[in-house]
Amino acid sequence: MRRWRNPLVFAFGVAVALFLGWVAFPRVLYSQKHQPLDFLHKTHAEKSGLTDCAECHVIREDGIFAGLPATEKCAGCHSERIGESKAEAILVDSYIKPAQETPWLVYSRQPANVWFSHAIHVKRANLSCAECHSSYGEQDSVRMYQVNRISGYSRDLWGHSMSRLRNGPHEGMKMSDCEKCHRQRNVEVGCLGCHQ
Amino acid sequence: MKLSRRDLLVWSAGAAAGLLATPVPWKILDDTSIWSQNWPWIPQPARCPVETRQSVCTLCPKGCGLRVRMAGGWAVGVAGLNTHPLSRGALCPLAYAAHQLNWHPQRLRVVQHRTNPSSWEQARAAFAKASKEGPVVIIDGYPGRAASALFETYTEGRDGNYCVVPSPEIRALTPYESWTGVPAHCLGYDLENTRTIVSFGAPLLDGWGTPGRFTRIWADRAAGRSDPELRLIQIDSSLSRTAARAWRWVRSREGTHAALASGLARALLEQNLVPAHGPIPATTLAESAVQCDISMEAILELGRSLVAKSPTLVIARDDSPAIAALNVLLGSVGARGGVVRHSQHSNLRSYTGSDVQNARAVLIDSSVPWNFMPQTDAEVFRFAAWHGASTKADWLLPAPGFLEELTDVPTPPASSLASYAVAPPLVKSATEVHSAAQFLSSIDARLIPTEKMIYTRCEDLFRRRAGTVHAHSAIPISELASVQKLVEQLWQGAVWVGEPSPDKLRCRLQEWPSATRSSPPDDGITDWIPPVMPALASKLYVESTLREAAERRKAWAPATAW
Repeated sequence: MRRWRNPLVFAFGVAVALFLGWVAFPRVLYSQKHQPLDFLHKTHAEKSGLTDCAECHVIREDGIFAGLPATEKCAGCHSERIGESKAEAILVDSYIKPAQETPWLVYSRQPANVWFSHAIHVKRANLSCAECHSSYGEQDSVRMYQVNRISGYSRDLWGHSMSRLRNGPHEGMKMSDCEKCHRQRNVEVGCLGCHQ
Repeated sequence: MKLSRRDLLVWSAGAAAGLLATPVPWKILDDTSIWSQNWPWIPQPARCPVETRQSVCTLCPKGCGLRVRMAGGWAVGVAGLNTHPLSRGALCPLAYAAHQLNWHPQRLRVVQHRTNPSSWEQARAAFAKASKEGPVVIIDGYPGRAASALFETYTEGRDGNYCVVPSPEIRALTPYESWTGVPAHCLGYDLENTRTIVSFGAPLLDGWGTPGRFTRIWADRAAGRSDPELRLIQIDSSLSRTAARAWRWVRSREGTHAALASGLARALLEQNLVPAHGPIPATTLAESAVQCDISMEAILELGRSLVAKSPTLVIARDDSPAIAALNVLLGSVGARGGVVRHSQHSNLRSYTGSDVQNARAVLIDSSVPWNFMPQTDAEVFRFAAWHGASTKADWLLPAPGFLEELTDVPTPPASSLASYAVAPPLVKSATEVHSAAQFLSSIDARLIPTEKMIYTRCEDLFRRRAGTVHAHSAIPISELASVQKLVEQLWQGAVWVGEPSPDKLRCRLQEWPSATRSSPPDDGITDWIPPVMPALASKLYVESTLREAAERRKAWAPATAW
């Protein structure tokens, strides 16, 4: 027993570090925030026939991506409550009637020094939205927004897997992910392509 | 079981080893580096809808077209404008980062009087007093603007002088002034129609002229071809960037370009490759070969290359008359693909040291490069957007930064066609800044404000009904319904481009110019540096060798002084 004491203590130290690093650290690193209200992409697609992402997330004529739809767009259907849910009440009473924009927490918001053109990727490269945003448009619940306490950016940029090895094909929006995709498609972009 | 100190150390070693196999150190490193981009003292534009505006770069007189991304009244990105007829989407490295220059730590924010903080009122009072006491000299680095006209008016009324620090491109055209009678700033190079270009050290592919103009022509007609449609022969003492990419690089000793030009003239005449009328250089072919360290056969062969594909255009780096005379010999002055006239303007006075000898005050516009400093005892008022380190100026006056001021952009140096554009103020300055023109207007209320002058110039253009307005598409100016439409287009980043000048250039060369090296200019400036201090963009601008650094050009020093 005395002979195995040191290796066992060493292994115990390794095990504690692995547990803390892989299990506890992500919980400490990322804080969780709720979206202002539950928005159901799937329900909108099924009940309202909004099957095309571009119906709400439009690319303007000048090529600039308008991002999230304004409250005015929601008011087209939700000027008055059309359901009894809590989210419906919040939407109508807190944002549509006072004409205030909903403070959505954007999962895929990039740093300010990144210039990304949706128009080029969608219209010229014919990429589907799911190529980068996964199947988010088909989900029937709102995910928790996880924000990195150090960098201040969404966890979606890094991806769900802490090691990034187990990230799905449409997870992660780091520069290396952009480079990987460009390499696969043989599209060369210099530094100034994104960091203008 | 009792835990010992040894157990604790072993456990710690295990934990440390285990930690390396977790994302903790690597993720913290990555996140911390990202966090460092968002320190609270780094200005961050507000998250708001982004709009794109078009404008024209005013960092130097080259007038490149800009596509500026704006967010919440801030410029957050700059890119080249593909529809711009001259720059054709290209920009120099400095312009790509120009929107950040306004936030540079060395941005000049307060008036300084001999390094002490002062105020605009005191500066105005000091300049007004100096103007009454004696002649005032105003030095401009970017002539032809509405502000330049205001400077001229101010000095005319006070027995003063208005003079210009010309860019190297204009300086290289000055020999033609005396031979043609046309001011150098009204001349340009018809690069679009030439088939052979012989460059005597001019960095044609490293930011010479409007970046993009020649590089695009070269890319379309020469790049990567063994027998290109456009031949570029670069004569340089070292393998500069232009030399490395040219069709042919001819290595000559530093400082012997004029001698080589004379030798080439001899070679052309001796081989009957050009009509033998006019003066003959005194330097013989053999003398030229020895001076330049090039064999006579090589010079003869180079002479044949010059006329193999005509028209041929010779471009000098400096104001060497011997090199310019080659264009006269080749019949390239006033001809298609040669040196052409683009506009008609009055003559401008280039700066000489004697201009400031008797001056009471010297006002230097912010368009003048930082390394320019007149040798004078007069009181110097220096406008600048950025602090250029040590300076002998008595007054340092903060000028508007990038895109903070309404200004017009006249024909860039070396252009073959006249052009006119307007750079509107897209962003607001965080501190009180005034341009030299605004400063003078506040002293003399009789001066016409630049805004009004720009509008008058637009009216003149509209009245002439000649040329084309390049906006998203090219529109003949005759199709515009009113001057308001023209003003609207120009304010939105369009460029007016004139038509080729119908006036013939008559060039007369009495004697072949001396092959001795021309003396350096009075101001000591041989390279044009935009009026932002070089240190601002040292990594991006200088190290990119957009223009070859002087040290690099002198890397191969001549063994003998000639």
